[in-house]
Amino acid sequence: MAVGPRVLEAAGFPRPGRLSRLREWWEQEHVFGYGLIVPAIVLLVTLVAFPFGMAIWFSLSDYWVGSPGGFVGLTNYRDILGNETFRQTVQNSFVFTGIAVSLKMVLGIWLAMLLARNLKFKRVIRGIVLLPFVIPTALSTLAWLWMFDSLYSVVNWTAIRLHLINAPGPNWLGQSTYAMAAVITVNVWRGLPFFAITVLAGLMAVPREYMEAAEVDGATSWDRFWHVTLPLIKPVLAVVILFSTIFTFGDFNIVQVLTRGGPINTTHLFATLAYQVGLQGGNLGQGAAISLFIFPLLALVVFFQLQYVRKE
Amino acid sequence: MKKPDRRVPTRRQFLATTAGATAGMASWLALGKAPAFAQKRELTFLSWNHFVPASDDELRKQAEAFGKVANCTVRVDTMAHLQMPAKVAAEAQSQSGHDMYRTAGADPFLYENLLLSVDDVVEKVGKQGGGWYSFSAESSQTKSGWKSIPWFWISFPGTYNQAHFKKAGFEGPPKTWDELLKMGKVLKKQGNPVGLPISHCSDAHSTYWSVAWSFGAKVLEADGKTPGISSDKTAQVIEWYKELYKDAMEPEVLSWDDAGNNRFMLSGKGSWIHNPVSPYNAALANKQPIADDINHHNSLAGSAGRHSAPPILSLGIWKFSKNQELAKEFVAYLFQKQNYDAWIVASNAFNHPPLKNLADHPIWARNPKFAMLPKEAEYAHPRGWPAKPSDTVQRIDDNYIMTDMVAKAINGMPTKRAMDWAQEQVALAVKGQLKG
Repeated sequence: MAVGPRVLEAAGFPRPGRLSRLREWWEQEHVFGYGLIVPAIVLLVTLVAFPFGMAIWFSLSDYWVGSPGGFVGLTNYRDILGNETFRQTVQNSFVFTGIAVSLKMVLGIWLAMLLARNLKFKRVIRGIVLLPFVIPTALSTLAWLWMFDSLYSVVNWTAIRLHLINAPGPNWLGQSTYAMAAVITVNVWRGLPFFAITVLAGLMAVPREYMEAAEVDGATSWDRFWHVTLPLIKPVLAVVILFSTIFTFGDFNIVQVLTRGGPINTTHLFATLAYQVGLQGGNLGQGAAISLFIFPLLALVVFFQLQYVRKE
Repeated sequence: MKKPDRRVPTRRQFLATTAGATAGMASWLALGKAPAFAQKRELTFLSWNHFVPASDDELRKQAEAFGKVANCTVRVDTMAHLQMPAKVAAEAQSQSGHDMYRTAGADPFLYENLLLSVDDVVEKVGKQGGGWYSFSAESSQTKSGWKSIPWFWISFPGTYNQAHFKKAGFEGPPKTWDELLKMGKVLKKQGNPVGLPISHCSDAHSTYWSVAWSFGAKVLEADGKTPGISSDKTAQVIEWYKELYKDAMEPEVLSWDDAGNNRFMLSGKGSWIHNPVSPYNAALANKQPIADDINHHNSLAGSAGRHSAPPILSLGIWKFSKNQELAKEFVAYLFQKQNYDAWIVASNAFNHPPLKNLADHPIWARNPKFAMLPKEAEYAHPRGWPAKPSDTVQRIDDNYIMTDMVAKAINGMPTKRAMDWAQEQVALAVKGQLKG
């Protein structure tokens, strides 16, 4: 057992120096504990809380680049609600997020179950699956830009050669529906590994006995998935869906590289519209209002999903 | 008593020296700059990644040469042109960053209060260079003086494939937008459509403004505050675009970025685009045989004459700069005839001077495909004309209002409704709101 300075003092040893008094003070639980989390708090405050607070202030002011504005209350929010492009952006964001997250969920579970099997070169395959998630989005999206190019689209070229479509094929980035399909495709391609690997971790934790018991009871593979696997991976799934929803709502790179919100604003998301209005257009107040608009909704989603996860 | 050894400092000497050095170092660190004896002035300049990289090489060479003359260092930072507005906005916002930067669009008006008045440089350089073209004042002179020095402009002529035109039975390129429509119909049937971007890219703006002015249509009245879209002229522009889209172009124009039309021309498919000479220069540089077929012609005319909206780029000096006089000297240095000439050559005739004497450079006359380019200066206006460039004009472009108006009409919205929609957006842009 270590002997503290006070014990030594009580035992008649000479009074400890300043350094050991400081050490004694530092080693008290409440001081030491707070001391350890201070760096994290400083980081959070300076890099998250402060910019967030500034964004809220911007959204409530008529702040323009280079000219500090005054407080205008909720005017920015009222203005953006009353305009067509913003309403279109809200609709785009829900369509984009709804379809992309659903696809990522279904395909992600499917991919995770494939990866959970005892395949040859299991580790290599798992590594490769993670690639889209590892490559910087802006770079990989540039490759997709070429694949969807109006003249040199490898997607169209392949489909035409396989006689699946007639030449010249869809104009991927120039027609609203195709453009939305294109940005969703890239988002799913990029987000799928995150889903698959996290769900795979959940699958690994499912005890084999349950599956064996279900098999003995004569459950089909679908029954086993629906009644055994799915309920057991639900908490993991809930967390992944939560994160994915937040990331997908906040997507910027993919749309900015592929369509810049076009054609006719049909692929704008909150982040791209906020960039266009706030930074390119200089209206920081409205830009901030656009990017914060979805925040209360997302906060609610986070609240309820985390409650659900805790219950589970 | 033993005398202290001269070579070994006493304790007192050591303390005095180290304390001094520590204090000096601390003040150096606190001020963030080297002490006066080691200091060399540094001028920082933010520019774009030029489309012709050799032009940036020449700029850096001149910056270094100026550094030697003025006993300073000049740091030229370059970045992608699409990212510049955000970077410039951040510098304006934080009142810190580079000493000077390459301005574009409505910057001199947008940052009127933050940019230094440069009337003295404009006058001096203008006198030496035989006077400024009229678009220079239109694009840089604000109510509180010249806020930037026009640096260069990029001609935006018609670029066409002679072989395709010849095959279709045409003697030469079109002279008017109406002729382009007529020829385009034949060319599309031949498998060589024409192409104008109708998408979220900056070439789409340049073309729309040029077409609109040539038809006599406006976006804003001269006061810069009254929307001027709703008119028969704009309706004609929209109808012209619709017909051109349907009979002479292909849907890909709705998805183009700024390089889309270049690819279209270089692929050999396209017969005509509205673009700077970059496809020709790229074909030459890559030794593509298509370079022989590509040629240029002057901006097209309409019922209201010949007008063009080329990109006009200037040099602005921030008021927060600590090196304002040095920046002015550097600008004057860049405009010295031998320097500017070398820069034109490095850009392979891409950089056009806003000064009449400098435009006499033989590079244009030497190549028949460039010979008509200097003439373009007479048709040029900054976007927004007849209104002055302003934050409103910038918002109209940044929010792609005109492009979207045309795209809506092409996608089936009745012309009048598309026009009314745009009129309303411009009214909101005047008020500084997001388009609705």
